[in-house]
Amino acid sequence: MTGAIAFVTRRRGGARWDWTDVVTFLWLGAGLVVVFGPALWLVLSSFKTPAGLAEFPPTILPYEARTAEVQGYDRPLPLYSVTDERGSRTLAEVRRVGTVAQMVDPENPGEIERVNIATRSPERQVALSWSNYLDPFLRFDFMTYARNSVFVTVVATLITLLTNSMAAFALSKYQFRGRNAVLVVIVATLMIPLSVILVPLYSIISAAGLANSLWGVILPTVATPTGVFLLRQYMLTIPDELLEAARMDHASEWQIYWRIVLPLTAPALAVLAIFSVVWRWNDFLWPLIVLTRAEVYTLQVGLNAYAGELNVQWHYLLAMTVITMIPVVLVFVFLQRFITAGIAGTGLK
Amino acid sequence: MGSIRLNGITKSYGSVDVLKGIDLDIAEGELAVFVGPSGCGKSTLLRMIAGLDRPTSGRILIDGKDVTHVGAADRGLAMVFQSYALYPHMTVRANMAFGLENTRMPRAEIDTRIAEAARMLEIEPLLARRPGQLSGGQRQRVAIGRAIVRRPTAFLLDEPLSNLDAELRVSMRAELSALHGRLGATMIHVTHDQVEAMTMADRIVVLRAGKVEQVDRPLALYNRPANRFVAGFIGAPSMNLWPATARQGAVVLEAGPSLSLPGVPDGPLTLGLRPQHMRLDPEGPLTLKIEMVEALGAESVVHGVMPEGTRILAVLPGQPGLARGETIRLGFDATQLHLFDAGGQRMEPPNADRTPAFQAGA
Repeated sequence: MTGAIAFVTRRRGGARWDWTDVVTFLWLGAGLVVVFGPALWLVLSSFKTPAGLAEFPPTILPYEARTAEVQGYDRPLPLYSVTDERGSRTLAEVRRVGTVAQMVDPENPGEIERVNIATRSPERQVALSWSNYLDPFLRFDFMTYARNSVFVTVVATLITLLTNSMAAFALSKYQFRGRNAVLVVIVATLMIPLSVILVPLYSIISAAGLANSLWGVILPTVATPTGVFLLRQYMLTIPDELLEAARMDHASEWQIYWRIVLPLTAPALAVLAIFSVVWRWNDFLWPLIVLTRAEVYTLQVGLNAYAGELNVQWHYLLAMTVITMIPVVLVFVFLQRFITAGIAGTGLK
Repeated sequence: MGSIRLNGITKSYGSVDVLKGIDLDIAEGELAVFVGPSGCGKSTLLRMIAGLDRPTSGRILIDGKDVTHVGAADRGLAMVFQSYALYPHMTVRANMAFGLENTRMPRAEIDTRIAEAARMLEIEPLLARRPGQLSGGQRQRVAIGRAIVRRPTAFLLDEPLSNLDAELRVSMRAELSALHGRLGATMIHVTHDQVEAMTMADRIVVLRAGKVEQVDRPLALYNRPANRFVAGFIGAPSMNLWPATARQGAVVLEAGPSLSLPGVPDGPLTLGLRPQHMRLDPEGPLTLKIEMVEALGAESVVHGVMPEGTRILAVLPGQPGLARGETIRLGFDATQLHLFDAGGQRMEPPNADRTPAFQAGA
C-alpha cells in the first residue's frame, strides 16, 4: 500500500514539484475524468429512482427522501428539515397546497403546522434503488433477452474463431493460384459497412427462413475480414518448418491445422475472441432488423424497448446498460493477458 | 533397407534452375554428407528426397521403388531440421510421440520407443519439459530423438549442428557419428562446414550451383580432388591455386617460377598445392615475403607473397619462429602437386616417375 502511494505520488523533480509534474497530473486527471467519468456516472445513476434522475441540479450519488411512519397516516411521510422563526426541526409533510405545506411533527402527530415551502428542505439519505435491476428481470423478459444474448455471443464467437482460423490457415500456409486475389477481396470487404448491405442481407436471411431466429443474427456475422486478416498475419509468423516436420510425422492437413497451427495461434485467437464477444454482445442494428418478436430479443434490442416513443424509462435503461456492460468488462479483465505474449517460436533456435 | 537413388533430378523456380540434373546413389547404411557453399542447392535436394518439394524432372527411388510422387509421410524417412522445428506447445515426450500417434501405434509401443530413444540420447530427465525450457544442445537431441522413434529407413539431417556453439558442435558431431554406427541406418547430412563433412562422412557429395562436383570418400576427395572447385573447397586452409601455363614440358606460373613437367600438354592450366605440403627449405624453389603469421601452437599458418606478386599460404609444423617481413624459401614434394586444365578439371600427371624440378625465375 505504501508502495502504491509512493508510486502514484512520484515526482520528476525529486522533493520539489516540477512544472512537468503538475502538467502530467492535470493531464492524467483530466483523462481519468473524461474516460472513467461517464462510466461512473452511469453506474451511480443506475441506482437512482426516476425522481432522482429527473432532479435538477443533478446529484452524483443516488439519494432518496427519508420517510417516517407517523401515527394516523397509512403511508410513510417524507421528512423535511424546517428552519423558521420557531427554530429548526424535522417535520413530516402531510400534503402541500401551493407554497404552503401542511406538516406534522412525527413525535406529536396530532398537531398540523402550516409551513412555507421556502423555509424547508427535504431530508435525504444515500440509498440504492435495487428495483431498477430487479424489475426488468422479475417483471419483464430480461432473463430471456440475456439468455439470447449469451447464446448469440458464444455461438457466434466459436464459429467465428473456427471459420476465420481455417481461412487464415489456408491463406497463410498454402500456395495456390489466386491466393493474393482472395486476400485482397477479403480485406476489401473491411471497407463495406453493414448499412450498405443491410437490405440484400436481410433478403437473404428472410428467404432462408432465418428471420426472427437467433441463427439469422449469428450466421451473417461469423465471417469477419478483420479476424481472417488478424489470424493470417499471426500465422505467417509460425515457421513453415513446423508444418513440414508435422507432415513428415504423418500428420494430415487437418491435424496440422488442429494440433500444430491452432495452439500456436492461441494469442491471436484470444484477441479475436475478445473482439468477437464485444462485437456480438454490443450488436444492435442487425439484431434489431432480424428480430421482431420479443421472445428472441437480445439485450441490446430489449434495451431499446425501454426507450419508447413517448416515454423513456431511464432508470431501467441505465440499470440494464450496466448489466450489458459487465460481460465486456469481464472479458477484458480476464483475457487481457492473452494479448501480451505469444509462445510460437520458442521451439526454434 | 534404406538405399536411395536419384535419377536426373532437376528443380527450377520460374526461370531459375536450382538443380541441374543430379544423379546419385546412396547405399544402405551409408552416412552421406552433402556439402557446398550457400545456395548450391544442397538443402533443396534434401527437401526433394524428403518429399517436401517436388522435382521439376527426374526420379527418386528408395529401396528401388519410385517415390517421386509419394508424399513426405509415406516415404519412411525422418528429417531433422536446421531450426529443429520442435512443436513449442508440446512437451518433449509429446513431440516424440506425435508422429507415432498419427500412425495409430499402440500406446505401449510408443512408450517403449520413447523410453529407448530417451535413454540412448540421455534426455530422460527432459521428457516433461517444453522446447522453450531446453538449451540448444538439448533441443538438438530431442529433434534427433523425434526422428529415431520413427525407425525410419533413412535419416535426413539439414544442417543440424549449425545453430550450436563451436564446442557443442564438436561433441554433437562425434555423437551423431556414434549414433550412425549404433543404428546402422542410412543418413544424409547436409552441411556447409567441410570439417563436419570430412569427419563424419562415409562419402561426401560436393555440390556447387546445382550440380554434383564430386562424390567420393573424404580422404579420396582430399587427395584427388576432381576439379579446381573441390580442391579449393575441401581442406582448411584451402589449397593454393596458381594460374600457370604449360609450354614444352614446363609449367610456368603466371607470375613466378617454372616447373619442368614433361608430358603436360601445352596450354593454360592451374597448379594446386596444399599449404600443409610445404616445408621450410633454404634451397626450395618458392621465395616469399611473409605478410602475416598465425601461430596456433601445433602449427603456424604463414601468409606470404612471392616476389612476382602471387599470394601463397603455407602451414608449417610447430613454431618455426618466423616474423612478418622476413623472406623465406619453401620447398615441397612434387608428387603432392595437383594439376587442373583450363576447364578446371583434374589432369593426371603424365607419368608416375617424373622428376620435376623448379628453376627459379626461368
